[in-house]
Amino acid sequence: MPALDLDKIKKDVVDSQIWRSVFRGGLWKDTPRDRAAHIIGNVWLHLHPVKVRPRALRWSYSWGMGGLSFALYLLLTLTGVALMFYYRPTIGLAYRDIKDLEFAVTLGQFLRNMHRWAAQAMVVAVIAHMVRVFLTGAYKKPREFNWGVGVLLLTLTLFLSFTGYLLPWDQLAIWAVTVGTNMAGATPFLGNEGPFGGLLGMRINNDVRFTLLGGTMVGENTLLRFYVLHCVAVPLLVGILLILHFWRVRKDSFSAAPCQAGEEKVDVWPHLVKREYVAAAACTIVMLFWSILQNAPLEVIANPNVTTNPSKAPWYFVGLQELLVYFDPWIAGVLMPGLIIMGLMAIPYIDTNPKGIGFYAWKERPFANAQFILGVIMWFVLIAIGYYFRGPNYAWYWPWESWFDIKPAPPPTWSVFGPKPDAILPLLLGVPVVGAAFAAAMLLPKLIQRELGGKMLMGGFLGLVAAGAAAGMLAHKIAAAQGAFLLFFLGLSFYFGFVLPQRHIRALDWPRYLVTMFLVVSTISVPLKMCARLTFNIKYLLTIPSISMNI
Amino acid sequence: METMSEPINPVSAAAPAPALKPAAPAAAMTRGDFLWAGWSMLAAFFAASAAAGARFLFPNVIYEPSQKFNAGPAAGYDLGVSTKWLNEQRVWIVRTPSGFYALWARCTHLGCTPNWWGDQNRFKCPCHGSNYTMEGDVIAGPAPKPLWRAKVDLAPTGDLIVDKSQLECIPGKRELPPYFVAHAA
Repeated sequence: MPALDLDKIKKDVVDSQIWRSVFRGGLWKDTPRDRAAHIIGNVWLHLHPVKVRPRALRWSYSWGMGGLSFALYLLLTLTGVALMFYYRPTIGLAYRDIKDLEFAVTLGQFLRNMHRWAAQAMVVAVIAHMVRVFLTGAYKKPREFNWGVGVLLLTLTLFLSFTGYLLPWDQLAIWAVTVGTNMAGATPFLGNEGPFGGLLGMRINNDVRFTLLGGTMVGENTLLRFYVLHCVAVPLLVGILLILHFWRVRKDSFSAAPCQAGEEKVDVWPHLVKREYVAAAACTIVMLFWSILQNAPLEVIANPNVTTNPSKAPWYFVGLQELLVYFDPWIAGVLMPGLIIMGLMAIPYIDTNPKGIGFYAWKERPFANAQFILGVIMWFVLIAIGYYFRGPNYAWYWPWESWFDIKPAPPPTWSVFGPKPDAILPLLLGVPVVGAAFAAAMLLPKLIQRELGGKMLMGGFLGLVAAGAAAGMLAHKIAAAQGAFLLFFLGLSFYFGFVLPQRHIRALDWPRYLVTMFLVVSTISVPLKMCARLTFNIKYLLTIPSISMNI
Repeated sequence: METMSEPINPVSAAAPAPALKPAAPAAAMTRGDFLWAGWSMLAAFFAASAAAGARFLFPNVIYEPSQKFNAGPAAGYDLGVSTKWLNEQRVWIVRTPSGFYALWARCTHLGCTPNWWGDQNRFKCPCHGSNYTMEGDVIAGPAPKPLWRAKVDLAPTGDLIVDKSQLECIPGKRELPPYFVAHAA
């Protein structure tokens, strides 16, 4: 019996007319020319450059999060299409079909698990990708536009998650979507409960919420609409933006990482492509095991009349849910998300610092890094509060407290410039005072032209607050904990809202300075309001109920 | 149209060619005008298409349950808050010494259903922590308005008829008919 000649078989296969017709190019000799041709001549690989700077390949530089996000998107497409074979988006069938997937369909539970966990992993990966790009200054010229596309992709990733978890039609689904669409109903001008909505004749059956729901309540039309958005419309939009995103990555010279002295670029095949495949494979394996070991949550079937107690959003929206405790729906649910998205997109255009592109520039970009990290940390602190510190009735429960303990009723809240005796007082006194405070916070860092010593300034400010708090405690007006909270939150706000801007962005031109400070002051007013609510039971700083102007 | 009265194309005005073709009439459309009109029409077409597409998303007929229901004999209710109809109709029937009102169990913050805690005399919302009194007034949490009261009638049979399509929350109005039915305990 002749020995099996593998080399000959391989040669015969590769030299056959069929193989040659499918794969372009001649015999593979692994020359630089072959490697280049492999990238250029392959439809799937040709968005890559042929050569890449060595630093761009390092995990410590790129974290591989952009590629992983895309790998997860593909995994989600595959598992999602599979689930569609067994799922019917009607109120009578949706929950039953999910139960069937769990108990009656071979691999149904596994595929659903994988779809859910990959979706959550994708949210993490996209956020991590954004953080990495920010910290390495990779959004700066010429990549400003692509950063904006990336911000839209992050938004759409979250929207895909949101539209997705209505589909199982369980309690999480119906109440998350009820809350989400009621936020839309609070949109200024376009929502029936939003400020000035009445001016445009918005009612419960003709506003933006009605369009999302396809009715006046979450029902059959809503499920169908979210199904179409989740499975067709949004993935299509994401696909279009992904093409644009990848194309601009390629056109803007692939990576911002500069070559070091004496360094030469290396071939993308195999050095980069290898890493991409390994990352995608590792990610798939992790998802596989995770989906085998851990089942995706499914609550009891949706009840449109009774809400689970407590009712919490999935973790990535719990931060938003926590914000809604302190701010009116149109502020926390519409204005703030809008400002976050537009503020992120504005970053490349207001950051004129030419230094720190393509590496972790802690010394070169102290202001940008500090403000951005503050924002990210705040977002995750809000998530942690909502996730770990909230119990039944959405009351504050420490993680070690039992949810069976009945909490005393929370104390009544009050407003600084409240509606009583009538709207004149808040209008005549509240609007000027709050407006002047906001304007002063925005303008002072630039108007004080002399650089003040940061340590002395901080020390002086904290000393003043501490003295005030001590006086308050002595007069039995505030408790020790309230004084400590005040010291922490005011100190934090003063440092990020005055000391840092005064030191670093005084020289910025007026338009950029104003946009930057507007975002900075808006950001720090969030923890300030939280402090006001949690420690002093202040509901609003200023309220004019007739136009839903509640701050 | 305003553009029609503008001077005609300067080239044809300065160098007419009478031998080859008759002079352009004074109101002739220039190339720029033509393109402007063309692009405008294209833009108008896209705008109209977008508007039509948006209109398409507003259903003309919706199939939703009736908001009116019979809450049973008034005599069957004890003083205080009754959660009898919560699961089916999302309404609390409240009986006071002087009569009845019906609270729609929808938090005015973002639309979750609060729970009644009789020992603390409060409604508490599980989504963002709003607290209401038995009258429906906000005492804690983010809700911007008191709970809505639904229209309530006493039928000749002695049954309470609740209509959730007619709502009121303003103190002073909500204590009057049709949002309140006088009925001595």
